[in-house]
Amino acid sequence: MKLSRLSAPVLLLFPAFLVLAAVVVVPLALSFYSSFTPFRLTKPESLYVFIGLRNYITVLSSWDFWVAFGRTVLFLTIALNAEMLLGLGLALLVSKAVRGQRLLRTLMMFPMMFSPVLVGFQFKFLFNDNIGLINNGLQSLGLTDQAIPWLIDGNLALFSITVAEVWSSTSVFAILILAGLLAMPRDPIEAAHVDGCTPLQTFRFVTWPYLMPFAFIAMTIRSLDVARAYDIVKIMTDGGPAKRTELLWTLVGRTAYSDARMGMANAMAYFAIVLSILFTVYFFRKLAAARQQIGAEW
Amino acid sequence: MAPVSLKKLVKRYGALEVVHGIDLEVKDREFIALVGPSGCGKSTTLRMIAGLEDVSGGTIEIGDNVVNDLPPRARNISMVFQSYALYPHMTVGENMGFSLKIAGRPVEEIKEKVADAAAILDLSHLLERRPSQLSGGQRQRVAMGRAIVRRPDVFLFDEPLSNLDAKLRTQVRTEIKKLHARMQATMIYVTHDQVEAMTLSDRIVIMRDGHIEQIGTPEEVFNRPLTKFVAGFIGSPPMNMDDVTVDDGKLVFATGATLPIPPKFRQSLTTGQKVTFGLRPDDFFPTGHGLNSGDAEAVAQLELPVSITEPLGNETLVFVGFNGRDWVSRMLNPRPLPSGQNIKMSFDLSQAHLFDLTTGNSLVA
Repeated sequence: MKLSRLSAPVLLLFPAFLVLAAVVVVPLALSFYSSFTPFRLTKPESLYVFIGLRNYITVLSSWDFWVAFGRTVLFLTIALNAEMLLGLGLALLVSKAVRGQRLLRTLMMFPMMFSPVLVGFQFKFLFNDNIGLINNGLQSLGLTDQAIPWLIDGNLALFSITVAEVWSSTSVFAILILAGLLAMPRDPIEAAHVDGCTPLQTFRFVTWPYLMPFAFIAMTIRSLDVARAYDIVKIMTDGGPAKRTELLWTLVGRTAYSDARMGMANAMAYFAIVLSILFTVYFFRKLAAARQQIGAEW
Repeated sequence: MAPVSLKKLVKRYGALEVVHGIDLEVKDREFIALVGPSGCGKSTTLRMIAGLEDVSGGTIEIGDNVVNDLPPRARNISMVFQSYALYPHMTVGENMGFSLKIAGRPVEEIKEKVADAAAILDLSHLLERRPSQLSGGQRQRVAMGRAIVRRPDVFLFDEPLSNLDAKLRTQVRTEIKKLHARMQATMIYVTHDQVEAMTLSDRIVIMRDGHIEQIGTPEEVFNRPLTKFVAGFIGSPPMNMDDVTVDDGKLVFATGATLPIPPKFRQSLTTGQKVTFGLRPDDFFPTGHGLNSGDAEAVAQLELPVSITEPLGNETLVFVGFNGRDWVSRMLNPRPLPSGQNIKMSFDLSQAHLFDLTTGNSLVA
């Protein structure tokens, strides 16, 4: 009798809300709350101690955290720009292919089909200083007679991780930009040729403005992906050597599970989310501007 | 300002040849229309002149230079596209001034030239807008503005009116004609619409399957079509045509209907010869409602049933049953005609056309 007083829409939506609450809202609220406690996995009762913003203050005054934060931003910037440029080049090349374009497009997507963990293992092997293919190749070519410590040297390690990241995700850019290239009308390009543009000028003044929205969509998606990079780093270096490749989320993971300081880790995570939101907002702004510029009707 | 000359121009896509060695001399400051059904090679020819398609054989000369291997930017041409092809991220003014900007001209000069062109095309109040904020007719005017700002040697138009509605089409057509008078430039205009070709051009080039069927002034191609194809393509409604056999001073149609041999052909036809007979709707009319030919001897009359009528106000198109199908006639000073009624129809045979049955070539009287 009581149920019938609820209107049909509410009744029908109720199960969905229930599931959402169980898997999203409650964990979110709980983790947010725990970031205000000294919660340690080894001391469950610590969940009920409220310490206000002390975790946040500790995090924000921690040198290690800021180094990881800065390194993540650096990693993000280098990886995104490299992927963007390589993806653009790849898309332009594939779009010029007269024959076998479908095959090329499929091949191009192969790296996306690998789990990041596998990519990590694969590059860990490639970059191995003893048995890795890269050192082997360099030595066989006579370019060096030393074993370059790709994953052991602090600077080279981050570089190696970037290479793995770029390898696995350039195709995201390539495919989105290729979609833009295929969707764009041919006529303005021909008009530009007639108007006196060299191929380079045509790209700069006509093609690129068309592709920008697609590039920004890819940027938005990838910035979120890269900002939460964890798996590749975890497999390849686990943040080492001596924390020289520690990124935000590997630090969060270590704090949460190795150190069991869940409350502190949650505080870091919530702060890290701010970074992601900022990037998203920035790229969406750019995207909206670029779309308006080409008068896109989508 | 330059003549354009095509010599034995060929276009092949792999093994498929779509333009078969055409020759065309476009005079300086001439307005030439390339017209023909889709797939006849007219757009391909224009795109070869523009440099957007490679030339497979023969030469293209603009002025005194063979331009076969020059990129479009080195040919000093402008092109107006069917889809306008404006740069959507630039304002109207930037669109029009783009070619000058690329050429590295000073900002002041660009401004001045864009303002001039905008004034000619009545676009001055739209210079800050973007193409997406314009109507179709305005966009096409911007495309024309972009073309004239450069003062090119040759203007190329690729079906510029096809995306416009009927009313705008007439309007922009007039503007193109004015533009030609004003710019005194060579213009080559591709269209599938024979009315555009007739109204705009000094000479018309009628193309079919990669060949040129006829080159001539609008009057020539209308009054003296060299082939059956041209006769059927030029003129609206199209010419009435049927095959006939010559028999003892008469033309005998398949259903047995007969007409006298047109006077001008009397000497040249022999009994048993098969030809195609053609008569324009203007020369086939309800008696008393046509153009007066002044040559009563050449007018044949038959009683024929009215099938349907299409009143246009100042005239009515009357479809009458003849030789087993509907022949269209143009009735001036129209009066209502009920369907099914038999009326007296005049065939002005002095204007009749005869074509060879196999070659399709016009038989010259």
